[in-house]
Amino acid sequence: MRAIKLRHLLALGIFGLLAIAAGAAPDAWQRPAADLASQVANLLGPGQAQLTVVNLSSIPTGQIPAIRNLLAQELQARGVVPAGPSSASTVRVTLSQSAHERLWVAEIIEGDQTQVAMVDAGPIIEPQTAPAAGIVLHTQPILTASTPILAALETPAGIVALEPEQVVVYGQIPNGWRIDQRVAIGQTRPLPRDPRGILWPSADGEGFEAWLAGAACTGSYANALASGQWTISCRQSDDPWLIAREIPQPQRPPLNQLPALPSPVQVTPAMPSSPQAAPTPAPVPPAQPVATLRAFYNASRDYFTGLVVPSPAVELPPFYSAAFVPRPSGGDALLIGGIDGKVQVLENGALSPVDGARDWGSDFAVFGSGCGPGAQIVASGSGQALSDSLRAYNLPDLEAVPASAPLPVNGTVMALWTASDSKSLIAVVRNAPDQYEVDRVTASCN
Amino acid sequence: MLRPVAISCLVAALALPALPRTRPHYGGVLHVEVAGDPMQSPGGLARGLIFDGLASLAADGSLHPALALNWESGDNFHRWEFQLRPGVRFQDGTPLTADAVVRSLNASCTSDCPWSSAAAVGSSVVFTGDSPIPNLPVLLAGDRFLISLTVDANGQIPTTPTGTGPFQLTSNTNGVLTLTANVTCWQGRPFVDSLQILANRSIRDQWLDLSVGRADVVQVPPEMIREARLQQFTVVASPPVDLLTLQIASAGPLSSASLRASIAQAVDRAPLLNVIFQKQGAVSASLLPQSLTGYAFLFPSSRDLAKAQALRGGVTPPPLQLSYTGGAAMQLVAQRLSLNLREDGFNVQVVPASSAPTAALALRTLPLLPAEPSAALETLLRADGQPIPVSDDRLAGLYQAEREFLDLHTLVPLLDLPRAWAVSGRVRDLTLRTDGSPDLADASLEDSSRDAPENAPGNAPQSVPGNAP
Repeated sequence: MRAIKLRHLLALGIFGLLAIAAGAAPDAWQRPAADLASQVANLLGPGQAQLTVVNLSSIPTGQIPAIRNLLAQELQARGVVPAGPSSASTVRVTLSQSAHERLWVAEIIEGDQTQVAMVDAGPIIEPQTAPAAGIVLHTQPILTASTPILAALETPAGIVALEPEQVVVYGQIPNGWRIDQRVAIGQTRPLPRDPRGILWPSADGEGFEAWLAGAACTGSYANALASGQWTISCRQSDDPWLIAREIPQPQRPPLNQLPALPSPVQVTPAMPSSPQAAPTPAPVPPAQPVATLRAFYNASRDYFTGLVVPSPAVELPPFYSAAFVPRPSGGDALLIGGIDGKVQVLENGALSPVDGARDWGSDFAVFGSGCGPGAQIVASGSGQALSDSLRAYNLPDLEAVPASAPLPVNGTVMALWTASDSKSLIAVVRNAPDQYEVDRVTASCN
Repeated sequence: MLRPVAISCLVAALALPALPRTRPHYGGVLHVEVAGDPMQSPGGLARGLIFDGLASLAADGSLHPALALNWESGDNFHRWEFQLRPGVRFQDGTPLTADAVVRSLNASCTSDCPWSSAAAVGSSVVFTGDSPIPNLPVLLAGDRFLISLTVDANGQIPTTPTGTGPFQLTSNTNGVLTLTANVTCWQGRPFVDSLQILANRSIRDQWLDLSVGRADVVQVPPEMIREARLQQFTVVASPPVDLLTLQIASAGPLSSASLRASIAQAVDRAPLLNVIFQKQGAVSASLLPQSLTGYAFLFPSSRDLAKAQALRGGVTPPPLQLSYTGGAAMQLVAQRLSLNLREDGFNVQVVPASSAPTAALALRTLPLLPAEPSAALETLLRADGQPIPVSDDRLAGLYQAEREFLDLHTLVPLLDLPRAWAVSGRVRDLTLRTDGSPDLADASLEDSSRDAPENAPGNAPQSVPGNAP
C-alpha cells in the first residue's frame, strides 16, 4: 500500500515537473479548450475517455503538453475523465488551422461511431522580429480611405489628401478624421493605371501646391477659420512638377548651393506665416529659402522625362523619384531613381551610380531623423522582395549604407515623401485593392 | 449587410500580399499563347480582360467593389441591392446602366441562376431570390456573370464582344486575338498598349515560342511545372485553384450508394499526384482545402481496398465507362483510376468525354476559390451543377454540409491542382488571379521601347521638351 502511494506521489511529482517545464498554457488557449471540452461533454456524456492530442498547426511543440493538460482539466470539470487506452471511448483532438485561423477539432470515437466537434481558436498571429541596432523606423497610421490616395499633406488646418479626381480635406475630430471638404479636380484626360501625384506645403506655409497628371491645384487655409472652408482651385496643366526641396539643416548655412546645378538655383522665397490664420495652435515651421527642383512628367508613361528646372549641366535619364540629399561636406546632391532601376547621384556636375541600392523600390525620400549627422534616405522595397518594407540608409559617399532594419509594411508602399517638418516621412500604403492608408514614418535612435 | 461587412472585415484581416514594387513601365505589346479558346465561357483568358463583374475577388480571396460600388442585403438574404459605380462606360462609349447590367445577366444566366429575378431600379440592380442567396456578391464576381454590352446606344447588337474591362477586342483573325488598352477604363488604363493572344497553340509550341522570344506568357500545365523549371523558364504558379474530381452518376449502373462508396474507397490518389502531376498540388478527399477550412484532414484520402471490396459486397456491376477531357495527363489519370477500380472488381473502360457524354464515371475539374469558405463551397457546388445555397458560415456547419454531400458519393475529390504560366524576362509584375489566370492588366514590360510606338493612340507623351521655361 505504501509502495502504491509512493508511486502515486512520484507520478504526480513528475507530472507537475513536466507541466512546469512545458510552461502554462497561454491565456489564449483557455477559451477554445473550455468551449471544445463543453461540446465534447455534451456529445459524450459523463464517463471515461482516452484523450489524444495531435498538432497540425503552427503552435510550438513545447506548448502542446500544456494544452493537453488544459483540455484534460476542462473535460474533467465537465465529467469526462481522461483515462487510458483501455477506455471504450476516445477523444482525439487535432489542433488544426487554415491559412489564417486556428481550428481545434475533437473526434469522439465510440466503437465504429465518430462524432465531430470543432471550435475556432483565433487568428494566427505571426511573431514579430526584433529590431536591429541603429535607427529604428516606426509607422503610425494617420488616415485610411477606400479610395486611392496619391499624396497627403499634414497642415495645421487638417490633412489634405490628393486623390485621382479630387482634393479632399480632412478635419480632426476627437476619434479621428472626418471629411470637411471635397473639390473636384476636373480631370479631362483618362488616368493611367498607376496615377501619381505630389503635394507640397505652399510657399507661404498656409496651404498646399499639388500636381498630378494633366492638372495642378493650389489650396489655402488662410480663410478657413472664418469661413470653415479652404480655398482650393485646380487647373489643367502640363507645367513641371515641384518634385524636390532641400532638407533644412540647422547646423548648415541656410541656403545651400546645388553643386551640380548651374546658378541661379531657383529659390522659393518664404513669406512670413500668419499665426492667427491657423485654426489649430500647431506651429508653422519658420520658413527659410530652400532650393527646389521641378520636373516634366510624362502622364502616359508615368515617369519624369529627365527634363528638369533648373537645368543641370548633364542630361538626366527618365526617372521616378528624386530628392535632395545633404552631403557631409556641405551642399546638396540630387538623388534620382531611374526607370531602369538604377539609383544615381548628381553631384559636382556629374552623375554617379549609387552602390547598395539594389534593394530599393521606386520610392524614396530624405528626412532628418536626428540619429547621427546629416539626413537619411528611406527607401521602399524592390519588386524582387517578397514583401514590402521601408528601410533607412545613410549616403556618406556613393554607397547607400543601411542604417535601420527593414520595417515590414502591411501592404504596398505607393508613395513616399518628406513630411513638412522634414523630420518624418509620409507614406501611402495600399493594404488591399481598395484600402489605402496614410502613415507617418518616424525614427528613433538606438 | 452585416454578413458582407463581416466577410470584408475577415478578409481584410487576412494576410494580404504585401508586394513591394518598382514602378511599372507603360507601353509595349505583350504576346500570350494559350492551348484553348481565350473567349471560351467560362474561364477564357480574354474574358476577364475585356469584361468586369459587379464585384471582384482579389488574389487573396477578398471581395472588392468593381462595377458595383457597394451592395447590401435584406430580407434574410432574399434581396440584394447593388449600387452601380457612376461614370463607367463600355469600350464603345455606351454608358453602363442598371438596365444594361440586367440585360447582360439575363443573357448569361438562363437557368439555375442564383436569383429568381434581377431588376434595374435607378442606378441599382436589385436581385431577389426564392431562397436566401447569402453568397451572391462572390457569385457575381465569377466569370459566368461578367457584364457585357448586349445592345449599344443605337439599339444595335454589338458586332464584337464589348465590356468595361482594361482591354478591348480589336481583331480576331487567324487564331490571333488582338486586345488594345482601354484608355478610358474606370480602373485606369493598363500598362501595356496591347495584347496579342495566340489561341489553340500546343504546349510544346508555346514553350518553343517563349524560348525564342516570340511569346511572353505561355501556359504550363500542372504536370509540366517541374519540367518547365528544369528548362530554366520563369514559372509563376498559383496555389491550388482546381479540384480534380471523379464524378459518379447516381442513376444507371451505379445507383447503389454502396457501389459508389466502394469506388470512393478504391481510388488511390498518391500515385496520381506523385507520378502524373510530379507532386505539384495536393491529394484531397474534401471539397475545400485545408488552407481554407482547417478541417480537411477529417476526410481521409488514403486508399482502403479491403473496405472498398466490402462495400461492393460481391456485386459485379456491368462494364463502366470513365470519360475525361483535357490532355494526356487527364488520360493517364483516367487510366490509373481504371486500374484502381479493376482491383476493386469493376470493369472500367477509359474514353474521351466527346465520345461518351453520359459515361457513369467522369473526370472533371471544379474551381477552388480562396474566398470565404461558405462562398467557396457554394461556387464549387454550382460548378458541379448543384445549385445549393450554402448559408451556414460556421465551420462546423460547413463541415456537416460537406460531409453530407460527400456521403452521397456522387463526387470523389482527388487532387487540388495549381495553374502555372511561364513568362519571359521582360515581363514585370505578373500576378495571378483567383482562378490562376494571369492578370495581364497589371503586368508591364521591361523593354517596351522595342515594340511600343510612342505615338500609339492615347499614349503620346504629353511632356514636350520645348515647353521648358
